[in-house]
Amino acid sequence: CKDVLEEVPVSQVGAQYINTPAGFEAAGRAAYSTLRDFYGREIGMNLTVFGTDTYTMGADGSYKFMNQYLSQFDGRVDLMRDLWNNFYVGINTMNIVIDNSTSVTGLDPNLVKRRVAEMKFLRAHHYFVLTQTFGGVALVTKGNLLPTKEFKRATVKEVYAQIVGDLEAAIPDLGTPTSDYGRATKGAAEHLLARVYLTKATSDAAAADDYAKAATLATNVIKNYSYALLPDFASVFAQGGGEINSEVIFATQYTSDALTNIGAAGGSPIQGNGNPNQVQGNQTHLYFGMEYDTQAGMQRDVLNGRPFKRYMPTKYMLETVFAINNRVNDSRYKKTFKDTWLSNRPGTYTNMFDDSKTRLTFASGDTTIFIPGFEMSKAERARRPYQVLVPSNYRPNLFPTLQKFLDPLRPDRTYEAGSRDFIMFRLAETYLILGEAQFRLGKLTEAADAINMVRRRAAWPGRAAQMEVTPAQINIDFILDERDRELAGEMFRWFDLKRTGKLIERVKAHNPDGGPNIKDFHVLRPIPQDQIDRTTNGATAFPQNPGY
Amino acid sequence: QVLSTDDNTPQPGINVAVKGTTRGTTTDASGNYRIAVPDGNVTLVFSSVGFTTQEVAVGNQSSVNLSLVSDNRALSEVVVVGYGTQKKSQTTGAISSVGAKEIAELPLTNARQALQGRAAGVDVIQTGSRPGGGVTVRVRARRSINASNDPLFVLDGIPLAGNIDDLNPNDIAGMEILKDASATAIYGSRGANGVIIVTTKRGKTGKSQVNVDSYYGVSSELGRIDVMDGPQFAEYKRESRRAVGIYKDANGNNVPSGVADPFADSKLFEPIELDGIAKGRTTDYQSFLLQQGTIQSHNVSVLGGSEKTQFAVSGGYFREVGIVKNQDFTRYNFRLAIDHQLNNRIRIGMTTLGAYSLQNGNDFNPYGGALQENPLGRPFDDNGNLIFLPTSDGLRTNPIAEVIPGAQVDLTKRMRMFTSLYGEWTILDGLKYRVNFGPDFTNRRVGRFTGSQTNARRGGDPTGFTTYEYQFNYTLENILTYQKTIGNHNFNLTALHSLQRDDFETGTMNVTGIPAETQQYFNLGQATIINSIGTNLEQWTLNSYMGRLNYDYNDKYLLTLTARADGSSRFGVNNKYGFFPSAAVGWNISNEPFLKGSSWIDMLKFRVSYGSTGNTAINPYQTQTLLTRTTYAFGTLPGYGYRPNTIGNPDLKWETTTTGNVGLDFSLYRGRISGSLEVYRANTRDLLLADQLPFTSGYGSVLRNVGRTRTEGVEVTVSTVNVNTPSGFKWSTDLQWARNREAIVELFNGKVDDIGNSRFIGQPITAYFDYKKIGIWQASEEAEAAKFGRRVGEIKIQDNNGRSPDGQLTGQPDGRINADDRVIIGSQVPEFTAGMTNRFSYKGFDLSFFLFARVGSTIRSGFHTAFSSLAGRYNNLDVDYWTPNNPTNEFPRPNQSQEAPVFQSTLQYFSGTFLKVRNINIGYNLPATLTNRLRMSGLRVFASAQNPFNFSEYRSKYKGIDNESFDIVNQNQSPAVKQFTVGLNAKF
Repeated sequence: CKDVLEEVPVSQVGAQYINTPAGFEAAGRAAYSTLRDFYGREIGMNLTVFGTDTYTMGADGSYKFMNQYLSQFDGRVDLMRDLWNNFYVGINTMNIVIDNSTSVTGLDPNLVKRRVAEMKFLRAHHYFVLTQTFGGVALVTKGNLLPTKEFKRATVKEVYAQIVGDLEAAIPDLGTPTSDYGRATKGAAEHLLARVYLTKATSDAAAADDYAKAATLATNVIKNYSYALLPDFASVFAQGGGEINSEVIFATQYTSDALTNIGAAGGSPIQGNGNPNQVQGNQTHLYFGMEYDTQAGMQRDVLNGRPFKRYMPTKYMLETVFAINNRVNDSRYKKTFKDTWLSNRPGTYTNMFDDSKTRLTFASGDTTIFIPGFEMSKAERARRPYQVLVPSNYRPNLFPTLQKFLDPLRPDRTYEAGSRDFIMFRLAETYLILGEAQFRLGKLTEAADAINMVRRRAAWPGRAAQMEVTPAQINIDFILDERDRELAGEMFRWFDLKRTGKLIERVKAHNPDGGPNIKDFHVLRPIPQDQIDRTTNGATAFPQNPGY
Repeated sequence: QVLSTDDNTPQPGINVAVKGTTRGTTTDASGNYRIAVPDGNVTLVFSSVGFTTQEVAVGNQSSVNLSLVSDNRALSEVVVVGYGTQKKSQTTGAISSVGAKEIAELPLTNARQALQGRAAGVDVIQTGSRPGGGVTVRVRARRSINASNDPLFVLDGIPLAGNIDDLNPNDIAGMEILKDASATAIYGSRGANGVIIVTTKRGKTGKSQVNVDSYYGVSSELGRIDVMDGPQFAEYKRESRRAVGIYKDANGNNVPSGVADPFADSKLFEPIELDGIAKGRTTDYQSFLLQQGTIQSHNVSVLGGSEKTQFAVSGGYFREVGIVKNQDFTRYNFRLAIDHQLNNRIRIGMTTLGAYSLQNGNDFNPYGGALQENPLGRPFDDNGNLIFLPTSDGLRTNPIAEVIPGAQVDLTKRMRMFTSLYGEWTILDGLKYRVNFGPDFTNRRVGRFTGSQTNARRGGDPTGFTTYEYQFNYTLENILTYQKTIGNHNFNLTALHSLQRDDFETGTMNVTGIPAETQQYFNLGQATIINSIGTNLEQWTLNSYMGRLNYDYNDKYLLTLTARADGSSRFGVNNKYGFFPSAAVGWNISNEPFLKGSSWIDMLKFRVSYGSTGNTAINPYQTQTLLTRTTYAFGTLPGYGYRPNTIGNPDLKWETTTTGNVGLDFSLYRGRISGSLEVYRANTRDLLLADQLPFTSGYGSVLRNVGRTRTEGVEVTVSTVNVNTPSGFKWSTDLQWARNREAIVELFNGKVDDIGNSRFIGQPITAYFDYKKIGIWQASEEAEAAKFGRRVGEIKIQDNNGRSPDGQLTGQPDGRINADDRVIIGSQVPEFTAGMTNRFSYKGFDLSFFLFARVGSTIRSGFHTAFSSLAGRYNNLDVDYWTPNNPTNEFPRPNQSQEAPVFQSTLQYFSGTFLKVRNINIGYNLPATLTNRLRMSGLRVFASAQNPFNFSEYRSKYKGIDNESFDIVNQNQSPAVKQFTVGLNAKF
């Protein structure tokens, strides 16, 4: 009765599918999906926004210790484990596609070549994030279909060699932007490699020509394609149309269709506890909001978002990076932070944080809260028929709100699965990479030229000249501040501070919660304990980063 | 008339004979008889199976009425074992029985509840009071970490794929729990977790009997969760601000604890709260969600038959309305059992069970929201309209909105049709062939709708989903039995082939943006967003061969040998089949000549068994390497993909449990004391366990047969007849006590703890592993607290461990609290469980009460974390929190800048020990004179109370409601209830 017990998984797809032409393509798409495990996710935000000089913790959220650099931030943190796990699942998928490329039949060889290049681009990207975060990681470059526990940590140098090798191999085979929007392109790979060289130059893998290569690649991106800065800084973050514009070089794709907006990990089923149908989408719209929704005249709505109040800008961010006296020239403070709320709950209220008044009455659409961004006098505030939130009243639940990621196209006010693409690489950053590379090469004029491209675009109309900087003004602190003026919240800051060797210094100086605790070892994050425990020979074979 | 001393019911079919003659008769359905006797000098002999024979001298009486004493030994003479029945005296396995009487004593939703406290070694836990909610049954603790620990249910000879919750408890004639390997080996592949054999009532030859059984009852909450009232909440909120120094008076000075400052209040509270404070308001939201629950059950059954055909028909209705609004459960049942003697060699029969049930509120409970709602707020405006947001807190919508009709719909419909058909052919004397066929259909539909004005949606678009399940399972069995007696040697041989196949289809749809709320989930296609659509198919097959020999020599020496080969589709191609042998011997010591004449030993039997059973209960397809679908998009185009998800393991095989059992059965003093004692050890090997892989491999785990567990235990069952006077007063006691221990012996890395999964060698399968709270940091300890990075008023954790420079644990404090300081807090496994039933009867009255205790387990209390965040935002359990004026060591200081206290998880562990009076039941059998006038053959009326008393520290000291739980007293659980019911059992 052997046949009686034969098991046919009718509703499932078996492993052999991956060897077919359709399966080859499907696995390639699956590799992309792991971008959604980092960009637009809480982990990506916590790792880059928290614990920096420009952002500290707001009132809510469970991972404040990541900002505070407390001992709870260790190898057991689930978000860190998820990132590690999901990225290695992605890398295994990429490896399998690359392995199968030599045996798959029935596909156009040029297409296969391009897909391999895409996988190498993604693999390089994943390893780049991993090595910046964890240092030397396990270097796996062959697809795996069998259980294995033998792993060791490669050196940072070996990891960078792999990243550079993959990208250099990928660039010739990748295409220019196509109708298949969202796939890796030659420009994207050059941009990434430019950033890789810039970062490698201050790592254990540093080589003398890193900055020169970074500059060349960034120049290629600027010169060789049709990318262009948008005239208005704010329009870069305009929502709609798939957030496609000429400045975007590469983005993690999200959609407004729930069926295609599910997170790659879909509630992390690889942990065995997820709901694979959970729609996650781009969740960055949740994290930067202040608690407007309990204030006088306000209630939560789609337009103003669902404020999780996770990240609060530091004093340094608001007073130095976006220095008050520069705001007449630089439009980016105003365009980065939401400062005005209009009443959607008319009525008379007495619950005031603004002590210049005791009660206010709002009609629908009246201004209820205004954040001037400077310490307006009490007398001046008293004249205004709304609450004025001045810096001395900033609290973990009341602060200027980063508006780049707000998502008013969500179908209702509780909907979490945002539809915005998460812009990973954009041309403004290419200029800043170029500027930084030229500065490191001692070419201050070229550095100023590149940075001024970005600054002129950021000027209020007629103020472009005042925005320009001279070569003499360029130094690494200036570049760092300029990066956050342009890129605040866009998942760069922690990496930027680390790359420039300023992490410890700046967090100590400017992050009131993390400053007292940060130590030298915090330039690396803890390796997930599971990885160590599950590897053969444990911590001997796969040692934890020092300090954790 | 002849009655039974047990319950004073009339006894039909009692043989009445004139001693020394052949003259005799039997009693009729009312227990009456008429017999002519020559004169007064004769003696009448009353006898029947199940009763002690009694002789009465007639003398000059014209009517002789008496009550027969039931014979315990004889009563339980026959027990149901796998594939047959056996004389109790001849069984060699560890078997507990629960009879129809115990089942009838409790108003049960499902039959599994009847096992609680009635059978030693069977641990039954029901958590909360959700109508239609399930229970957890564990026979002799747990063995398996990853595979199932649920016992196998066998209904009328057919092993089920699921449980017996669709069965009307009134239809059950008895349940047998097979516990050791000798008893369960017959179900080899699936017997590892114990087997519960359920036999339903069947018709009897004779006058048809109509039974009407009804009860009705009311239920109320056993207690309310004690949350803060209005003034307490206001003060707690102030304290949470004082803790971060923002509760300041008009001069900008901090206001000390215990002082309420009007200026500070005006800054802190919103108008509705200030209004509430001024008026001393407390809105008790719990009271709006609770109601008086009801429970009712009505059954009619007709049993009867001719010489050739017997039948039993019954219909039932059960409805329980919960104490939380929108939670109820209704079930309709019918059952038909027919047995027909085709000729003197062939017998056929069938049982069909149908059940249709409706459950509201399976996945819905608004209770948590009520506990967290600000008590200073107002639920209704002056016009009596509901205020959806009673305060400006956007997350706290009015809990009452949840129970507005139509706001939340959660209806599960379930339909089950189970049939068991058999044909039995007596080929020769002693040689029988039997075929069983058991098709079992289950349909289930879950419909869920959440309207806009609910906490889940908070004004967002309505959502809905449906899940449809269609399950078809069948069992086909061919059984050959041969019975032979040669002198004093009795042989009974059984051979079996069994095939079982299961086919389970599911479909689900999940949407957001239902256009009109009145559509609920009945037109999901019109919604604006389709969140997901899914269908699935799961199939498995079992194919088994079994042989068994029962042998006894003169009813003195007993031997049972069983061998079973099981094949499961779920295992790898290399290991489909497993082989499970067992052997058992028994010695009826009381049948030895040296005890034969004993005046006080009725029966004494010693048993030893050893054997193995298997566990296949893992999901299908785990031996295969399968892909998972991923979701991405390129622009607006879908970018679905596939990637490897599981590593198949073609070597997967049966998880095997080997059990050794030593048992002693005894009956003393003519049944006044009887019972049994069991001692066992079960070793489980080849655990179907996820071998954890480092994710750098691309996978998180692979299922392997690794690891071992051990369970061992002692079980005592004693029944005593304490008092039995000639006047008819009887008091009997049934007692069961069991201690089951489980321990992990080996995991995937050998004898190495798996800390990540909280699995420890030598500990039970799940142990609670956490930091240990030793108090609250007091004002005098500020400097010490600071060394640990903690502040005064926060939870103080025991510093247990540090690491030496080479990374080894030192076992010494190191002045740091980190993951190394976690310790084992406790386990879910109790020290022991015990149940005691006392029964009293006198004339027509009977009284019973049933006590149940579970001692020594640890539970987690979800209430104590979910509703005690102490952040000064949501309402909180009324706990003894720290303030500068109240230096308690119980709960930390409220603090506005936290979402929950640091180390909050340490506040959730409590002792699971409790003693409950599960049931008190008082009944009265109306005298025959009265029932005859009503044309009834019997009428019993009764009243009972369920859970009237519940003793536990969790209740008395920590304000919990009920700590009956395997793991967590869920935060969203319906509170436990007490019930009072009245009912009647009428026979016609």
